Amino acid sequence: MKWTAKDVEVYLQEKEYIDTAVIPLIPLTLEKNVKSIASMGEFVQIIVGELERQFKGRVFLLPPFTYFTSESMEEKIKRIADWTSQLTANGMKHIFYVTSDTEWKAGEASLPGTLLWLPSIPLEHMDEKYKQQIVMDQTSQLMNLLISKWS
Amino acid sequence: MSENKHRVSRRQFLNYTLTGVGGFMAAGMLMPMVRFALDPILKEEAGTEMVAVAQVKDITTEPQRFDFKVKVKDAWYESEEPKSAWVYKDDKGEIVALSPVCKHLGCTVNWNGDKGNPNRFFCPCHYGLYEKDGTNVPGTPPIYPLDRYELKVKDGTLYLGKAKPRGEA
Repeated sequence: MKWTAKDVEVYLQEKEYIDTAVIPLIPLTLEKNVKSIASMGEFVQIIVGELERQFKGRVFLLPPFTYFTSESMEEKIKRIADWTSQLTANGMKHIFYVTSDTEWKAGEASLPGTLLWLPSIPLEHMDEKYKQQIVMDQTSQLMNLLISKWS
Repeated sequence: MSENKHRVSRRQFLNYTLTGVGGFMAAGMLMPMVRFALDPILKEEAGTEMVAVAQVKDITTEPQRFDFKVKVKDAWYESEEPKSAWVYKDDKGEIVALSPVCKHLGCTVNWNGDKGNPNRFFCPCHYGLYEKDGTNVPGTPPIYPLDRYELKVKDGTLYLGKAKPRGEA
């Protein structure tokens, strides 16, 4: 489910079934590599959107966790840990962070949830059919990871 | 003499030409008006349009997943929503198109998704199960059968419409 009034209504009724939160980690900048950073975020948003469609009944897709690339790793980890503890305190058992930003790899060990890193694929010039294929492939890999965490 | 009989006077000639030209002008004005008035009737009813999904020759007795896109309009925002269908031919050779949306909380179900339950639809979220015809297996979370798409076959192509709860489609 998504962070919309309609989905939250279902969440409030069926809380015990929805135990997984997915947070996209989206970097921002206006200084350098602006375009590639934007395309990273776009790709991650598309993938988590598809993941949410497949796992609507168990996964809560949160609004993206955004940060300027200049923000220090400690600061980011502190903020994301805060998000995570808010979620776990309210019954979320599995927390996944989805990102294409390689920086998170360095801080992976100190994250309280599971980091899912995807190589960013620029989709903008791609044929509609290939685009769908790539998004499906990437999503099914994530789905398998989630399923293995659940069981 | 025949020449005299067919002579056209100046008055008659002007009458003919003016009626002709006037007629064209009137028609030019009225035609768009009539078209505008009829337009709502000629327009296809929104929401009932069917989308081409698969070739009939590709459909087997084993459920296969076909992906397609439908246009949705949400207030001022128009977008294409991706959808999927599980399509197969039943024992009588009739085509069945099931919606993959689990009736429990809306995850996407898979054919043969669980090794312990072959030839059933499986929902990975809360382990819901459905038989091949979409009937929910008692004892698993879903309490309704899977929705069925309205379908139509034209020139060897399968078109799907809206997914409806079983009994209506």
